Amino acid sequence: MANERAWTAGSHDGGEGVSRNGTADLRATGGVPAPAKSRRPGGGRFARALIVTGSVILAVVAFAALAAPLLSNWGSEEIDANATLAGPGGAHLLGTDTNGMDIWSRLLYAARLDLGVAVSAVALAVVVGTALGLIAGYLGGWVDDVLMRIVDIFQAFPTFILALAVAALLGNGTVNLVITIAAVNAPAYARLVRAEVRSIRGLPFVDASITSGASTLGVLWRHVLPNSLTPVRVIAPLNCGWAMLTLAGLSFLGLGVTVPGAEWGAMISLGSPDVVAGRWWTSVPPGLALLICVLGFSLLGEGLQERADARRHS
Amino acid sequence: MSRPLLSVEDLSVLIRRPGRDVAALSGVSLHVDAGEVVGLVGESGGGKSMVARAIVALLPSGSQTSGAVRFEGADVLAMDEAALANHRGHGAALCFQNPRGALSPTRTVGRQLTDRLTTHQKLGKEAARETARQLFEAVGIRNPARRLDAYPHELSGGMAQRVMISLASGCAPGLLIADEPTTGLDVTLTREILRQFRHAADTDGRGVLLISHDLASIAPICDRVVVLYAGTVVESGPAAKVLREPAHPYTRALLASVPDVSGRPARAIGGAMPLLSAPPAACPFAPRCAHATSRCASERPELAGDGWEYACFHPQSGPVAAVETPAARARAADEGRVVLEIEDAHVVYGSRFGSGGHHALRGVSLQVRAGETVGVVGESGCGKSTLARLMLGLTAPTSGTVRLAGTDLYALRGKKLRRLRTRARLVFQDPIGSLSPRRTVADAIGEPLRALGVPAAERERRVAAVLERMNLDPAMLRRRPHELSGGQAQRVGIARALVGNPDLIVFDEPTSALDVTVQAQILDVIGELAGDASRGSVFISHDLATVRGFCDRVVVLYLGRIVEQGPVEEVFGDPRHPYTRALLSSAPSLGGGFTGPRVELAKDLDEADAATGCPLAARCPFVTDECRAEPQPLIRYGASEAACWRVPQLPGLLHERTQNSA
Repeated sequence: MANERAWTAGSHDGGEGVSRNGTADLRATGGVPAPAKSRRPGGGRFARALIVTGSVILAVVAFAALAAPLLSNWGSEEIDANATLAGPGGAHLLGTDTNGMDIWSRLLYAARLDLGVAVSAVALAVVVGTALGLIAGYLGGWVDDVLMRIVDIFQAFPTFILALAVAALLGNGTVNLVITIAAVNAPAYARLVRAEVRSIRGLPFVDASITSGASTLGVLWRHVLPNSLTPVRVIAPLNCGWAMLTLAGLSFLGLGVTVPGAEWGAMISLGSPDVVAGRWWTSVPPGLALLICVLGFSLLGEGLQERADARRHS
Repeated sequence: MSRPLLSVEDLSVLIRRPGRDVAALSGVSLHVDAGEVVGLVGESGGGKSMVARAIVALLPSGSQTSGAVRFEGADVLAMDEAALANHRGHGAALCFQNPRGALSPTRTVGRQLTDRLTTHQKLGKEAARETARQLFEAVGIRNPARRLDAYPHELSGGMAQRVMISLASGCAPGLLIADEPTTGLDVTLTREILRQFRHAADTDGRGVLLISHDLASIAPICDRVVVLYAGTVVESGPAAKVLREPAHPYTRALLASVPDVSGRPARAIGGAMPLLSAPPAACPFAPRCAHATSRCASERPELAGDGWEYACFHPQSGPVAAVETPAARARAADEGRVVLEIEDAHVVYGSRFGSGGHHALRGVSLQVRAGETVGVVGESGCGKSTLARLMLGLTAPTSGTVRLAGTDLYALRGKKLRRLRTRARLVFQDPIGSLSPRRTVADAIGEPLRALGVPAAERERRVAAVLERMNLDPAMLRRRPHELSGGQAQRVGIARALVGNPDLIVFDEPTSALDVTVQAQILDVIGELAGDASRGSVFISHDLATVRGFCDRVVVLYLGRIVEQGPVEEVFGDPRHPYTRALLSSAPSLGGGFTGPRVELAKDLDEADAATGCPLAARCPFVTDECRAEPQPLIRYGASEAACWRVPQLPGLLHERTQNSA
């Protein structure tokens, strides 16, 4: 949750990526040949290590999610009435929960949902946010004013409270969850892209394109968009991790996926009373799965950020 | 001779980079004495800035040095951090090329100056402020007490550069190093800023190392000149010798590639400077040199001579051969169809909050015919760029009309407008910035054709054809802008302008971001295009010499108004308006330059007030009450028109002034 707050707070001044890169630019144009560069020695190699580690983690999780039927003997919602709250080992690798459902299989099937919802929600947020940011930043004037005030309203709420409200409004269902999470994340992209577009709009190559007779859409699509996506590329993977936490949080509170649906947050919620009673296997494995996934996304995002910084400085 | 203040002795800098080493400097020796201005010149990549950085020990990480930089006897390269901190600022101070970027944007300039004085000079707050005020006054900042509280963005470029000089000289350094201090400034400002350096040398006995690629501007203020090429000194000696009758073929080529206001055109040298990965074993200029022999390609000439040294086996003598001025092209410009017609255009940039705004153009009327090239000149801020944007449909006029190829540009919408826009093309000042970083060269050049709906195969053919015309390698098509040199990028820019056979091409300072020798090459290309009878050209520049080269007509802009226009020979040979005369007087020149009686204007452009009457009233030496009260319309005088009622009296007035000053 702390992560999410950082993301909202950062995005108020144009997003984390922008403010960081902004200071980097100042340094670069300062004319002063910076004697001590803040760049890590061998920054490129460090960035690559982060990217590779993050990608490998995510690839393993994705593989496990896809190969779930091969890796487990139980279905995600299959009830073994003879073994409720059975400990790990034996017929159930990680034991069973209070309903007698196999934790290991549910863990694997939940990965499908968690990864799928997180990635598609962020993808939707990127598409919608980028489109709004492009329009607002390029057209400026009242269009910009109206769109940005709407974004302000969205960003005035703490992200998670907003997500709760939207989820309650839309009701349950996977598609609704995707829409909910996309809705709370899109405003930040709109702001991020708008800031990029506003600086790109004044560059000579945009004028060059306009005087070449290109239509407004053509200019946006062929010139402004490709040049304004760098910060989005860096933020999106980090955002996937946070989206996953939002999903788990909603489910934990009963507004997302509900049991018997397999979702990590819902599993933690279902198992939380058991933990107190010493039956750790009901909640700890989904919690760890969540942690590993978010870590994977964070490493990937950090690596991309590092690489973008290194490129800017060289 | 006294012991030199600074002496660089056999300095070599090798920058180690993964993949490729760069021999930035190879055995450079030079010296600067107290009270002396030394010019360091050459193309970019020649190592000029590397010398400056070595003097203050700010070399890039991973560089290996040999030789010594002695400042008052101590070797700078061997100093520890504490000694260096004292050396930078007290010993040698650096003025940067981009003053606005080098000033911190969130602190007032006064604060930035007093900070230095309190930390380095141990002055008290009040004393520091008083000293700062005096320093501002010394560099010619008007109203210094008020300017101390200004933020960098509130200053004009010239003012910011003055602040930079006062910052550098604040701690009374023995040596001032100025790295391209006047790049991007107008002729009048350039002269004023360079005078400040001469002043620092003459009155305070400082040594000044002036780094520049603009030979003509620095020529009158330098005592000695050192010419760098590919990290080696190729010639050094008294400014009068080196800049008038240089011995080294490179210096000669460099001088020849600068156009002159007297009408001498630029002569380009082919090829490009090599990027060396090791100190050169042969003469680095040999591949581009017309006088090279086999010896030049196998042996490196030593720098030899007394006082005037050069590294060449085949030194030349005599002044740089004047190229014949090409006979004025016979023109039938009056018969060409009108491709662009601007009538009484005003442009006001409104401010978003409430009233006010900036009046960029105040009633400009202009016609451009096919087959003719019109030059537009003026200081920065005079409305040149706004005029260009107006012609291209990028900035709508507040009132007045713009007709392109007979159609009102600002009355159209949608597809018709887009098609009309392709009839006028712009070549930009910043060649690389005008290309989208993520698009290939082929994409960039083909864009106007795409807008016209030309099919892909046909597009490819035409792009290849225009590329060949620009002497670019077809392999270039798949490159992206960051892989191009400035000159190549500008050729691509011109190719993009040409590809759709437009009626009008507007060149907006197309060479000001380029190196001198590359400038000459690009001017060659533009000069060839200018003769084409099928289209008109507009050439916008603050550099009078380049305009004179190939324009048929010249328009002089001042604060959004046309103050003089006429045939190029008339305007340059016999300027009617005092402003034009002043511009010509301050134009830097290596040759004769402007020969008529000179005029100097008071104050800077940004302080002039153009509320009523003649816009030049505040700066003109011939101003009368009538000038201040009455707006000045364009009046025909012979073949030219000028917006000044005193033109008939001017020859007498000028004569009087020269008599008085003599």
